[in-house]
This record gives sequence, structure tokens and C-alpha cells, in this order.
Amino acid sequence: MTDVFTSIGDRISSEESEGAFNEFIDEQISDLIDGIITDGDLNEFGERGTNIIVEMDDITPPYFTYGDDGQGGGEGGSGPGSGGGKMSFSLPFDKVMELIAGRLDLPDLTKEGKGKIKEVSYEFKTFGQMGVILDKKRTFRRALKTSVAMGLYDPNLGKYDLQIRRRDKRFKLPERVEKPKFRAVVYYMGDISYSTYGERLELEKRIVKFIHSWLDYNYGHNNVEHRFFVHDMEAHEVMPEDFYRVSNVGGTRAAIVFDLVQQITVNEYDTSTTNFYAFYFGDGELFADDAKQIVDILEVMRPIFNRIGIVEVQPSRSSHLNSKISARFKNDRIIRIDELKHNKETINVIKSLFGKVR
Amino acid sequence: MRMIHTDPELKYLESRCHHYALEFGMILPEVRFYILDGMEFASLLEKRVFPVSPVNIWEGKRMVTKKHRIKSGQESSLYYEVVQTGNPSYAYLNNTNSAMTQATVMAHVYGHCEFSEINVMNDSNDDRTEFVMWLVKKVNTSRAQMGEKSFANYWNAAESALSMIAPNSQFNLKGSVDTDAGGGPRMSSPVGEKKEEANLLTPFSATMDSLLRPPKQQDPFEQEMKTKRRQESLSRRGYRLRAPCQDVFGFLESFAPTTRAEKNVLKYLYVVHKPSDFVGRTQIMNEGWAMYWEKKIMTELFKEKACKGIIDHAKSTSGVCYPRPYYQRNPYHLGLHMWQYLEEAFSKGKISLDYTEETDQPTKESWDKGGVDPIERMRHLVRTITDYEFLRRFLTPELVHRFHLNRIHQREFVRLGISKREVIKEDSNWVWLDPKPIKKEMLARYTHFYRPRIYVIDADFEDGGLLLYHRDDGRRLRSNWIQPTLKNLNMIWKAGITLVSRNTLYQYSGGRQREKRIRELAFETVVERMQQGKKPLIFE
Repeated sequence: MTDVFTSIGDRISSEESEGAFNEFIDEQISDLIDGIITDGDLNEFGERGTNIIVEMDDITPPYFTYGDDGQGGGEGGSGPGSGGGKMSFSLPFDKVMELIAGRLDLPDLTKEGKGKIKEVSYEFKTFGQMGVILDKKRTFRRALKTSVAMGLYDPNLGKYDLQIRRRDKRFKLPERVEKPKFRAVVYYMGDISYSTYGERLELEKRIVKFIHSWLDYNYGHNNVEHRFFVHDMEAHEVMPEDFYRVSNVGGTRAAIVFDLVQQITVNEYDTSTTNFYAFYFGDGELFADDAKQIVDILEVMRPIFNRIGIVEVQPSRSSHLNSKISARFKNDRIIRIDELKHNKETINVIKSLFGKVR
Repeated sequence: MRMIHTDPELKYLESRCHHYALEFGMILPEVRFYILDGMEFASLLEKRVFPVSPVNIWEGKRMVTKKHRIKSGQESSLYYEVVQTGNPSYAYLNNTNSAMTQATVMAHVYGHCEFSEINVMNDSNDDRTEFVMWLVKKVNTSRAQMGEKSFANYWNAAESALSMIAPNSQFNLKGSVDTDAGGGPRMSSPVGEKKEEANLLTPFSATMDSLLRPPKQQDPFEQEMKTKRRQESLSRRGYRLRAPCQDVFGFLESFAPTTRAEKNVLKYLYVVHKPSDFVGRTQIMNEGWAMYWEKKIMTELFKEKACKGIIDHAKSTSGVCYPRPYYQRNPYHLGLHMWQYLEEAFSKGKISLDYTEETDQPTKESWDKGGVDPIERMRHLVRTITDYEFLRRFLTPELVHRFHLNRIHQREFVRLGISKREVIKEDSNWVWLDPKPIKKEMLARYTHFYRPRIYVIDADFEDGGLLLYHRDDGRRLRSNWIQPTLKNLNMIWKAGITLVSRNTLYQYSGGRQREKRIRELAFETVVERMQQGKKPLIFE
């Protein structure tokens, strides 16, 4: 009897169709990215190694069926329609960040310090006649071949001896693998004198969470140190959870927090092997020559830092920090400025902080 | 995937099963068995029991979901039996099953194969699987010709018409469409009340009566015009609708303006989905037939000790044949018990006028006037009827009660809110309903299969548009899917698509959606107008 299925291979498989479906879902999720960043709950973003649940409308081809008189989603068209239900996908953190990078056209961050710090690991890729860890499978295979060749093992003759000779032994040999390890420090600076509550606070949280996730994705979770600073007339380092909680009403000086960050950078880290990022969030309303002092400090910080972002959150008419800085650092590769008035602008702010210089 | 001869034990069991199948006089096509692993099985099912299918996201979606369900333990990857009938038939065994289960599956498969070969609907055809494999190749070529995006869009559009495949309906292509290749049998006129007419002469003479009352002649001019219109229509388009066509997908596949590549997509989808209609119409008889022969063959195998595990087999069979209430009908249980009842009844001569007319209960109970070969009579039923007639003819209230079709769990009884007046018996767990109305409810399923009945009633509606008709079953269509479905059908028909449902006319034409209130149109009126060669829907 001939096997008519020979032409289709060894297996009955739906892998190609699954691939087509997964590609389709990637496209759909990519379309959802904007919504996830602007309206989604970014606090749900896990850390590297965890999964993120993405929920989207189920897809079902529409057809004539008995109805529920209009409930459920309605789009059908020539593409897949909506059945009104939901589909959930569990996506690895890295996959989501990869999709975000693709969607927002964010380039990989330039990492410095290569060659100075390395992650060392050992992989067992090669095999030799001497060693400590015996590769049982290879050894057995060689011993079997030798025994067959020597006539010790021949089931037809009822011989089942298997001799493992010294020359048949194969050991796993460790190979030193060095991978460059990058280290990054991120400073988040917040103005606690402005009214950080309600929508303003949510906007700030959203963007900070994204920066946190994005840098973790680029450098690896354990390689990034996140430090939080607040200021009014003085500057302090605070615990991450206090970053959004502390507030004060009164005068404000932002230059001191930039100065503090600058001092910490120089005094606590090896600037030649570390990648520095600093992000400032405030309403941009500063007194007297505060902005001018910030510009002077930024001049000092610029050669050391990979990226400095200054975001005016819901600025008022008297906000002038960005205008002062942009007068000096317009279209700068390192120093990026933007303002965030509304949720919908989150993506644009992310693009201006991490995207290519326009 | 490997062939059965690679496993000597299974090969032996197959030869024994085949031996007994032939000994019992079963009419079998060539049956080829393959051994698959769990994931291959899952994949095969998503390909509608064919080994290959064109790449499509719907299969991908189902498979991704299924894999997730299997991995998370919500679904078992063990499937009882999977067979694609036809000649040759292809049956698939799961490599994780025990030898006894494999033998059971093989015996069951032989039952299905015989049913497919001899049934009234002529399900079996030559080289079905091979034909589908060839079609898949054609569709893959079509994808390259159409481009990925157009191909996916067209395929998705065609998915919307899959619920409208009815090759075995009274209103199928053959019964509803005249083609230039010659029409099929004509639809009979609707059966109506025959008017009693007074005899012209007393005493009555049929000859004199027919001479004195000649048949009413249609106006010869009108008749001539009707024939002319029909011939013109046939000559212009190659077909003419003479009755509503319920096989909408078949109609689109045959008559929609398509490129060769599009035609291949429609053809493939039609061919692989068409057998579902046969399965739906014969499921009780078919599964019952397979269970019946499974039991017969397995008994012989256990007798000759070809395989062990009779207790496990009994456990498994009782699980498969567990009685369910009539609305959740278990075709394995109902089918097997119906065939067993019929075997006994035929062998004792109980399916006869004498038995029916016998009034003495003791005589009826001890009735045993055999003489006919029950198996041959049962095969005759397979050759001549489907589930509807099977139940209508043989399912009595006594059998409904005996098979527990009227038994509902107490919790379910409360949930369904059934009236206590319908209860004839109950205990702490179960409630038995009055069996008399149950048969009628079971038969009602076969008029619509719980699906909307949609017909093509005009292929030239408003300049080339397709007019569909929803036959009212007392339930409304899901309103927010109507226009998306029409849009998809429009992509296939390439002209306006209109649906009449109750008093609403839904239209998708030229990228626009439209809804309009109209006077309700009865199905009988549609049939009548079409038979008269008139347009079924006329705006006043």
C-alpha cells in the first residue's frame, strides 16, 4: 500500500496557520500599543521576566445567526469581525517593549562602558577526552560503536557486552563566555511645590513608569538603578513610593535638584563605565534666574549623561523653563524637552525623549 | 504520523476487525489507518479531518486556543475516533491509546464507513481526501496569484457564508436552479387543501367528468412569454432560479463572478464543509450504527482473546453511551439503543401491521413471529431514510421513557422552570417528564437545525444584485452582524446584496448600507411567485 501522505511530510501540523494568526495578533497588538500607553494601566507592566496580559476584542467572522438584538461589538467587514467577546494574550515583558519600540520607532539606546565590565559565564559547548563532567550520552554512543566493532555486542549472536574504554569517554569542557554588561543610573526629579495631584500626578506617573520599563528593557532589570529626587526650595532623595506622595506649597528652586544629581553622579559613580539618564518633571514655573542656573548645570551634565529629559507637566502661562533651555539646547541629541498637557500626548513625549532628533 | 503496518500489534487487530466486519456482511470501502500523536490529532480536527489545509488565521486561532486548553488541562488531547469517510476512507488512531481502545476505534470506524457507503444521501465518494489535498495545492497557488492581503480578505469574506451550506436541503442547487447544462428535478407544487368539487354526473364517471371539465389552460401567449423569458435568462447567465435556494454557499461557488483563484478558495471551503450537512442529518443513525457494529465486532474479538480489557471496554462504552435528556441528545446512546431495539423488533416481526393492530396486551408482549433478517431490514433503513424519518417512524413515547430521554436532573428541572404538570415521576435526583410531546420537539430540530434558514430568491435583484430571504422561525437575526455579513457576501458576489428578514430589507451595495421597512413576505408567496417565473419581491 502506498502512503499518499508522503508528500505532506512526517507530521500533520497547523503551525503555519498558527504563525499566520500570531502575526495577525502582533499587528493587532501593535495597533493597541498607542492605547496601552495613553489609556492603559501601565502599573500593570511587570518587570523583565514577567508576562503582561493584553486583552482585545475577539475575532469571529460575522455570519447570519440568531441574535441578541444588538449586543456586542459590531465591526466585521472583509476582515475579521468582532464577536463581542474578549481574547486575552499573555505577552512577555520584552515582547511588549519590542512592539512598543517598533511602533514608536524608538532606536536602541546607545550603551557605553563596553569592555570595562563584563558578565562572565561558562557554557559547555565543547567535549574532550579529559575532564570532570562526563557526557554519558556521547560516551555510551562511542562505547557502543567500539563494542560493535570489536564483536562484543551482537544481538544476533546473543552477545550483549558493552565495554566502556578510557578512550571512549567524553567530558564536557567549560568554555568561558564574556558578555559586556552595561550599567545605568536613572534619576527622576520631581517638583513637589506644584500641585501634583489628580490628573497631573497621573500624567507624571504614567511617563515615569514607561521610562522605568523602557530602560529596564534596554539594560536588563538588574543593571539599572532608579533614583528619585524631589525639590521645593531644597532637594532631597526619596524612596520611589514617596516620589508621588510628598508635596509642599510655596516657593521653588529647581536648579538645586539638578546640582544634587550632578554631584551624586560625579561622586558616587564611575562616569566612564556608567550610563546616566535624568528626567525632570515640573510645571516650569521658576523664580528669578533659576532657569539660567539649570542651563549652566546642564552644560556640565551633558557630556556625562546619555539622555536628559525635561518635561513640563500641564504648564501654565508663566512656565518658562523649557523656553530657556531650548534657547540653548535646541534639537539637542542629549537634552530633550517637551511638555505634557494631556494623556493623549504621552506618546509624543516618549518619542521626543527617546526618539530620533527631529 | 505513521501507517498502521509499522505497529504489528495494531496491524493484527485491524486484520481481525476487518475479518469480522466482512463476516457480518458489512459493505466497506478501503479503510486506511494512520497513527497520530495528540497534537497531530488536534491539528487534524482543525483541518476538518483532512491532513492538509491552506494557511488561514481561523485555523490558527482555533489551534492556539486548543493548545492552550490542552496545556492548561481544560481539554484532553485524547480523541475517541476520527475518520474521513469516502473511498478510500482515512481513519486515525491516537498513539497514546491502549490496544483495546485502538481495536474499539477500528470497529467503530468500520461502522461509520459502511454507513457512509450505503446511506440514502450518498455521502461516500471516491478519493475525497485526495481531492481535498489537490484542492489545497490549488488554493496555495491561488494565494500566490492573489497576494496575501487579497487572499486573506477573500477567505475571510467566504467564512461568512459557511453557515449557509445546505447541499441536502429540499431547496438545494439541484432542486432550485435551472442551468444551461440541463435542470434537475422540478420542485413540486406546494401541497394545499384539495378543493372538493361536485360530480357533474350521477352516477359518477371519471371519464365523463374529465371530458366535461377539461384542465384549465394557461393563456398560450403568457405561457410562450414565460418560456421565452426562461430561455433568455438561461442563455444570458447560464442559470435561472426556479425556486428558493438554501445552499447559498453552493450557489455562490457555482455562479458568483470569480477569478480562477477565487473559485479555488470557494471550491475548497465548500468541499470540506459540505459533509457537515450529511452529519447533521444522520448523526443519530450514523453514530448508532457505528456503536452497534463496534459492540458486535468487539464481542467477537474478546471471545477469541485477540485483545484484553473487557471491563475497561464496558466502562468506556457506558461512558460514551450515557443517556442525556432529549434536548442534549447523545447520538451514541440514542442511536445504539434504537438500532438494538429495531434488531429485536424486526427479528420478532414487531414492525408489522399485525403487531400494530393487535389489541390483546399479553399477545403483544409475547409476540415473536420472526422470519426476516433484521440486519438486512436495518440496512434497508440506512439506504432509505435519515434521522428525521428514523425518529418519526420508530421513536415511540415508550422508547422515549425507556431510553431516559425524558429524564432531567432536579437542578436542571428547576433551572429550566418546567411546569410540575409535565412531570410523571420523580425521585431525589431525577425528574421524568411526560414522554408524549418529546418526540415532536426532537423532530422540530430537523426543520432548521437551530440555524437561521437563508435562501437565495433572486440573482438579479435591482440590476444584478443578490436577494436573500430569511425564513422566519420566530427568532430575530443578530442585528449587528447582518450588515458585516452582507458586506462580506458583497465581496464574493461583486454586486449589491440584499436580505429580507421579517419586515426589514437590509442592503449592502456600492459600499453603502441601507435598511428599509417593507411589508412582510411569506415564504409560500416567494415559492409561488418563483414557480410562476415572477420576481419574488416587488415594491409597491
